[in-house]
Amino acid sequence: MKIGVFIPELLRHLFKKPATVDYPFKKLEVPPGFRGSPYLRPELCIACRACERDCPAEAIEITLTNEAEKKFNMIIHNDRCIHCAQCVDSCPTEAMQMDNLFEISDYDRHDMKKQWDYVRAVVKPKAEPKS
Amino acid sequence: MSFEIPIGPQHPALKEPIGVRVTVDGEIIRDADLHLGYNHRGVEKLAEQKNWTQNIYLMERICGICSHSHATCYVQGVEKLMEIEPPKRGLFIRILVSELERVHSHLLWLGVAGHEAGFDSFFMYVWRDREIVMDILETISGNRVHYAINTIGGVRRDLDELQAKHILDSLEVLRQRSEYYQKLGTTEPSFVARLAGVGYLSKEDAIELCAVGPTLRASGVPMDVRKDDPYAVYDEVPFEVCTADTCDVLGRTVVRIKELMQSYNIIEYLLKNLPDGPIAVRAPRRAKPNEVVSRYEAPRGENIHYIKSNGTDKPERLKVRAPTLANYAATIKMLKNGFIADVPLIFAAIDPCICCAERSVAIVEEKTQQERIVTMSSLRELNLKITNYQARKREAEWPL
Ligand code: SF4
Ligand code: SF4
Repeated sequence: MKIGVFIPELLRHLFKKPATVDYPFKKLEVPPGFRGSPYLRPELCIACRACERDCPAEAIEITLTNEAEKKFNMIIHNDRCIHCAQCVDSCPTEAMQMDNLFEISDYDRHDMKKQWDYVRAVVKPKAEPKS
Repeated sequence: MSFEIPIGPQHPALKEPIGVRVTVDGEIIRDADLHLGYNHRGVEKLAEQKNWTQNIYLMERICGICSHSHATCYVQGVEKLMEIEPPKRGLFIRILVSELERVHSHLLWLGVAGHEAGFDSFFMYVWRDREIVMDILETISGNRVHYAINTIGGVRRDLDELQAKHILDSLEVLRQRSEYYQKLGTTEPSFVARLAGVGYLSKEDAIELCAVGPTLRASGVPMDVRKDDPYAVYDEVPFEVCTADTCDVLGRTVVRIKELMQSYNIIEYLLKNLPDGPIAVRAPRRAKPNEVVSRYEAPRGENIHYIKSNGTDKPERLKVRAPTLANYAATIKMLKNGFIADVPLIFAAIDPCICCAERSVAIVEEKTQQERIVTMSSLRELNLKITNYQARKREAEWPL
């Protein structure tokens, strides 16, 4: 047994840069593929509701606003979203996408809603929806 | 004269809310009783209302540290129910993530052990190095904590060459650091002295009380689900089951450090032998009525999920037995005849994850009913009484 085996390590670290980052002034890059918040590309959505069905947090709400014109309204409740990206996986047309923002807090949870009013698109699903 | 001291559910010495009531005689703990249920969240009931896909994410959120363990355990069970076989590459990536998770969990634990033993600089260095593995997990899955890499029938994201190289490079750094910590952990005299002999659990007791994971292996029982009942591709991955025979907190530390080394080897093997091919198969939305028990070796020990399906797209019943729950009985045994000051250390040594374990409301034993809640003021009164009327007995014995 030796006394003070840790001391060389401590001394070495005296002259090193800190391991932390000055956060609000300096920000780290998020890696590609980071799961931020989901957003809709309304021109691609065929209103199949696969995302609504599979969202574990029930954060997606799709309503039919005009039957004749096939108008839909989608709300993503970002306060409920758990950023799992299952909606992206479930979507057959790539209408659902994730951004890479991480500073998404807000003072009021009701301000965190995102809404889209759109006419249902008529695109062919590229692939079968993944379950 | 013996006291009952309530510790928790909220207590500065505990990292997570757990209620423990210890009966002490001077400084020595004579008896201990655990109170579960404070952190009960109703996850199992909620799971019955969500479909198979949604439940992956719910299971993942049982715990933040072993999120992948619960999700994998669940997904494996559902795959058995649906009679689908994930492709090889998918399984490789799945257990790659689970080994990375083991690395991050053990490093986290090592830091906590250092902190509880009063070695805070150790804690900080270990946690700094843990960031490396957290970053790896973030690059391959898109999130630091809830990786969400599993899906029913495989995994959701593929691994490319660049990522594989990044992991291998970072692994070298981690391996060096872990070797250093191993050296440090075994030569720093005050650290060793603090851990040795604390929380003794004999081999017989460990088996009898059904301890799991590193707690069991530190008592000299080489039991590991990955070896005993290999799931995924563990039957073709070479690794050793690590044990120690000191039966105390020091042994548990040694087991975890050895397991870190094994995990590095496994990760290296997986990356070098990653097969080509698809990463997932398509899963049906429903499962035939059946039931299944799925086992998984989480960083803390054996994790069990029981899943029952009824032909719909939702489970009929989902039961989770987290490793911490299995270790509770052994913890009581370890606490007995120890010092009060060792309570946080002993608890830390089973690496408890309370939010994992609190699945059901406490089993109330007959004994517990007679228990009284000791408030702070009555404790003080009692204390005064002793000081005033009773000559203090000095019969405390060294617990070893
Ligand atoms: S990311 Fe997950 S929780 Fe958020 S909207 Fe999509 S499916 Fe729902
Ligand atoms: S799954 Fe895609 S196409 Fe279907 S409703 Fe959702 S966003 Fe639209």
